Amino acid sequence: MAAALATIPKTAPFHEDEIDLLNRVVGPASPIQRAWLAGFLTGTTPLSQPPQAANAARPAEPLSIVFASESGNSERLAGDLARAARKAGMKPSLIDMADLDLAALPASRRLIVIAATWGEGEPPSRAARAYADLMSEHAPRLEGVEFAVLALGDTAYAEFCAVGKAIDARLAALGGKRVRDRLDCDLDFAKPAALWIDQALETLAPPQADRGRVIEVDFAAKPAPAPEIVEAEIIEHIDLNSTRSEKETIHLALAFDGAAPAYQPGDSLDLYPENDPADVDELLAAAGLAGDDALRAELINSRDMTTLSSKTFDSYAAATGHKDVEALIAGGEGRAWVAGRQLIDLIRAFPTALSAEQLRALTRPLAPRAYSIASSRREVGEEAHLLISAVRYASHGRARKGVASNFVAERRKRGDRVRVKLRPNRHFALPAPDRDIIMVGPGTGVAPFRAFVQERRAIGAGGRSWLFFGDRQFTHDFLYQLEWQEALQDGALARMDVAFSRDRPEKIYVQHRMWDARRDLVDWIENGAYFYVCGDAKTMAKDVRATLVRAFADVKTLSAAEAEGAVSALERERRYLQDTY
Amino acid sequence: MGQELSRNERIKEASDYLRGTLADGLRQEITGAISEDDAQLVKFHGMYLQDDRDLRPERTRKKMEKAFAFMIRVRVPGGVLTGAQWLALDRVARDYGNGTLRLTTRQSVQLHGVIKSNLQPTLRAIDAVLLDTIAACGDVNRNVMCNPNPHASRAHAAALDLARAISGHLTPRTPAYREIWLDGERIAGGEADVVEPIYGKTYLPRKFKIAIAVPPSNDVDVFAHDLGFVAILDARGDVQGWNVSVGGGMGMSHGEPETYPRTADIMGFCTGADVLPIAEAVVTVQRDWGDRGNRKHARLKYTIEDRGLDAFRAEVERRAAVKLGAARPFSFTSTGDRYGWTEGADGRAHLTLFIASGRVGDAGPGAQQLSALRRMAELHDGDLRITANQNLIVARVPPQRRAEIEEIAASGALFAPRSGLRRNSMACVALPTCGLALAESERYLPDLLDALDARLAAHGLSTDDIVIRITGCPNGCARPYLAEIGLVGKGPNRYNLYLGAAFDGSRLSKLYAEDIDHPAIIARLDPLFAAYAREREADEHFGDFVIRAGFVEPTKNGRDFHANVGPRRSA
Ligand code: SRM
Ligand SMILES: Cc1cc2nc3c(=O)[nH]c(=O)nc-3n(C[C@H](O)[C@H](O)[C@H](O)COP(=O)(O)OP(=O)(O)OC[C@H]3O[C@@H](n4cnc5c(N)ncnc54)[C@H](O)[C@@H]3O)c2cc1C
Ligand SMILES: Cc1cc2nc3c(=O)[nH]c(=O)nc-3n(C[C@H](O)[C@H](O)[C@H](O)COP(=O)(O)O)c2cc1C
Ligand code: SF4
Repeated sequence: MAAALATIPKTAPFHEDEIDLLNRVVGPASPIQRAWLAGFLTGTTPLSQPPQAANAARPAEPLSIVFASESGNSERLAGDLARAARKAGMKPSLIDMADLDLAALPASRRLIVIAATWGEGEPPSRAARAYADLMSEHAPRLEGVEFAVLALGDTAYAEFCAVGKAIDARLAALGGKRVRDRLDCDLDFAKPAALWIDQALETLAPPQADRGRVIEVDFAAKPAPAPEIVEAEIIEHIDLNSTRSEKETIHLALAFDGAAPAYQPGDSLDLYPENDPADVDELLAAAGLAGDDALRAELINSRDMTTLSSKTFDSYAAATGHKDVEALIAGGEGRAWVAGRQLIDLIRAFPTALSAEQLRALTRPLAPRAYSIASSRREVGEEAHLLISAVRYASHGRARKGVASNFVAERRKRGDRVRVKLRPNRHFALPAPDRDIIMVGPGTGVAPFRAFVQERRAIGAGGRSWLFFGDRQFTHDFLYQLEWQEALQDGALARMDVAFSRDRPEKIYVQHRMWDARRDLVDWIENGAYFYVCGDAKTMAKDVRATLVRAFADVKTLSAAEAEGAVSALERERRYLQDTY
Repeated sequence: MGQELSRNERIKEASDYLRGTLADGLRQEITGAISEDDAQLVKFHGMYLQDDRDLRPERTRKKMEKAFAFMIRVRVPGGVLTGAQWLALDRVARDYGNGTLRLTTRQSVQLHGVIKSNLQPTLRAIDAVLLDTIAACGDVNRNVMCNPNPHASRAHAAALDLARAISGHLTPRTPAYREIWLDGERIAGGEADVVEPIYGKTYLPRKFKIAIAVPPSNDVDVFAHDLGFVAILDARGDVQGWNVSVGGGMGMSHGEPETYPRTADIMGFCTGADVLPIAEAVVTVQRDWGDRGNRKHARLKYTIEDRGLDAFRAEVERRAAVKLGAARPFSFTSTGDRYGWTEGADGRAHLTLFIASGRVGDAGPGAQQLSALRRMAELHDGDLRITANQNLIVARVPPQRRAEIEEIAASGALFAPRSGLRRNSMACVALPTCGLALAESERYLPDLLDALDARLAAHGLSTDDIVIRITGCPNGCARPYLAEIGLVGKGPNRYNLYLGAAFDGSRLSKLYAEDIDHPAIIARLDPLFAAYAREREADEHFGDFVIRAGFVEPTKNGRDFHANVGPRRSA
């Protein structure tokens, strides 16, 4: 058997001299060396550090791991899964759904999909194209493919884990064999997801028996050290909107004890908020638990006591046996009732005295909120700046305040401390310095672009930078106006187009300014410019993309389909990048 | 003048007939401002670059430039607007301005708070109703004023025609205005075809103002103007001709006695046919004789002081080829407005409304003046006339409309108050928009009047007509030196108090107390009110009384304005 490997046949897909070289190595190689090479050559994921030999010999069953991720959670889990799979003697290939070649899917005998849901039940933007293909009638049959799906989501959204659910159903419909039941994770997914992954691998891993002689090579032995929660002091806390504005957008400068988290332009920070004590007291009072200080502290610091999901609605009915709630559920009206409401509304509308345990059970762990980092360490040193818009609105006759944004805007001031954790985003990074970039960032969407501009100024990037910014009023909501004026002066910005929606009767948004500038836009992009969009996902990001498609159609006189093709080509090349929320 | 030219002269010279780099400045969308030189030029187009001074303290901390916005002043000869024109201004005020219209002491309308990106749409909307803002500001002839009370119809019609003729004749001809604001591009042809037959490349040394008065009303304050025409009426009330006055002006600077307000001199009499040539000659003489070195000495009033009235008259007569006759007798009774209804000759009636400080807005329940006037303009087929006292006349109302108009006026709290002081009050704009304000004016007037009304009531003087005017700085935009009680800003919350001007606008006032705050103003005036109530003679006006009673020296003319100041008798 070893002899069979002795020499590389002339038929091998190498140049003659390469074949000689290989023979010089492989020929005299010991069985161990050959086994190692075999393992090395079957590896797929790129080297992150020198390969190291494991002692035992194992079989290598291929496993395809597809992830659909926006803010990186699914991607991280997929990485964990790949490592675990290798340990279990499998040959994992890690595939970002953005790059998924559907035609190749039937070939993969084992498939695990980890998918997040975004928008209102939509796939992460990068995955949108492949997701659409999978759902279309052109999708290939998947007979003989064993699969399992892990869904990430947030019970606060009506379309909880919609994408994971849809993929799970679709794979089965295409003839795939579900070997493990789907798990739908809420924001506190870490433990349940890890557990599911272990079990999934057990089901998929082949029996001990038939094992060929291939040494498994662990290509990424250690996971990149997971970022940890750190404390930071607020050294600047400035409302950037004029006192005449209805908006409040806080410029927050954070200083760390020692080095700042090693962030890159485009990364975000997870911020760990506290609930408004007043809201907590109201909730406790409504639940007849006023005075339970331990519970009060717990709710303030670590429980999500605002979100009301239909899941919570059901458990409330179960826990309290409240007739009216059960009636609503029976009538299938639960989902409609929770829309736009919060836990306090539920308890006030259907009052019942609750035990501390029952109330705790109605809440979930308080999740951190992500904020784009608005600074570059090259300019601000060991600081990190955030740009936080206070979320305030009314629904069902009640004034509502976003937990984290108002925690910062109203309950934290200069000198106070907050807890944050780095949330890297390698999918929203700067290109080579000599490349042009176009940045579309209305409202707080401009935050990462402040980091981009600082970074490119600091490294003296040769590429041009063009920023589109928009907000409500020129006079009262022009975030960082003086800084942009400087950047235009010193060349860090080559061009800036602005759109303000409430300065005149007709509303003007960034996409309108893009349309005005469509010739230059297309020109820049054809010159290789990278196109970045950050900010509102609900409408802005969609309008911006649609406008770019129209711009291509108009400027290059393309059909709608061709123009659409041009833009999705940009996406595939990773030159159209989004960080939207 | 031997001196070198002032900066503004060089800007005008280089501006290519008021173009400067305005068109380019409008494209710079990251700043709400324009270049310093353009800021001087844009005045000729009727606009001022301002910033909201209330917001200044916070802007830099919030990483924003000053809250820049433009004030736009419309040119309204004689203050007469059609309903459609009013409605257009009302709309731009709400769409692009700060939601108010500001009636001015020169019978025009100002918009405030128009940001740079809204200038073109605003000016196009104004153009669409055949109005413009050319030369509403700048070193040119400004809005021509004219007594708007239409009740003595024929004479007033003649005065209005004259105002419009003069305004048209003296309007700059440069196409820059259309190019920059309306068409948005330069019309081919270039400099060669541009002629400013009257002004030339550098226009006038300084602003120039004309008013036309119809006795017995001196509501336009004719003596405050560079050039004035006073109607001389025959027995039948028809216009025989015009007395010509020159060299009036208000502006001065604190601590600079060489600057002073001045009442105009009557230079002679001319017939209607000679008015245009005379007006043009006065303008061109000032163009050539005026001081282009020192802007604080550039107004016609100083030219006349320096050259003498006779030399000036001679040069004007030469250029106009007109011999002025001897001035004819006339007499003024007051500078105020006649509130309420007045009957017109043609059976139509006119309603004079009271607008505090000329600020028309929707201040809140019961004071929705902008909305009320909108409704009026919608149903009214006559016209709306802005008075020189910042008030508004609904003119030529047919009998069947009266009730309706009256109901709307009542709903908008547009009727004149009882207080004789309030009815005769004016305040300039000052803070927060005016860049030159040293103290509050328009925003302070209501509190000031409340306090003074209380004192007047205590002395039984509530309904006596007393003219009070306040300005936020010594420039004199509300003509405070021609008010019986004049307050002029000195610094935050501090004012100079002037007394003793004539009720008919013929005599300037005198400084009575310097640099005093609100309590001191009340304390200083209260005893004078008491004395006035005690010692006044029949029909004696407050301004005449304080002089006769010996509280202040009279001011005979501009040059002795700064002489013998202060109280002359302890109150
Ligand atoms: C709106 C108005 C006062 C009002 O409350 O109505 C006004 C407002 C201003 N005047 Fe005036 N003037 C106004 C009538 C006057 C008058 C009264 C008159 O003309 O009968 C005078 C005194 C007469 C005179 O010209 O001597 C007047 C003498 C000045 C001066 C001093 C001129 C001088 O020769 O000393 C300035 C400052 C300057 O020109 O350098 C000035 C400058 C200004 C400016 C534009 C401030 C500036 O230059 O930046 C003020 C704008 C304030 C704002 O935010 O709106 N304004 N200004 C009046 C508009 C008239 C119009 O529609 O054209
Ligand atoms: C990758 C990423 C980057 C981000 N960067 C930034 C940033 O740079 N700056 C920034 O300000 N935010 C940013 N966000 C958003 C931020 O994370 C929070 O979502 C936002 O601050 C709201 O959090 P909160 O705790 O204040 O509000 P929450 O308590 O979480 O309440 C928000 C919820 O309230 C409801 N709601 C909000 N508005 C309305 C409305 N008008 N009508 C009805 N319901 C409404 C919605 O259900 C919404 O989900 C980012 C988000 C992500 C995912
Ligand atoms: C703007 C936004 C919209 C979201 N919409 C949904 C949704 O409709 N349904 C859902 O179950 N989860 C929703 N989520 C929660 C995400 O799916 C959840 O945060 C997940 O962990 C993200 O995984 P990722 O980092 O791999 O993208 C949303 C999150 C954000 C920030
Ligand atoms: S008087 Fe002075 S403060 Fe008042 S508007 Fe005129 S320039 Fe401004």
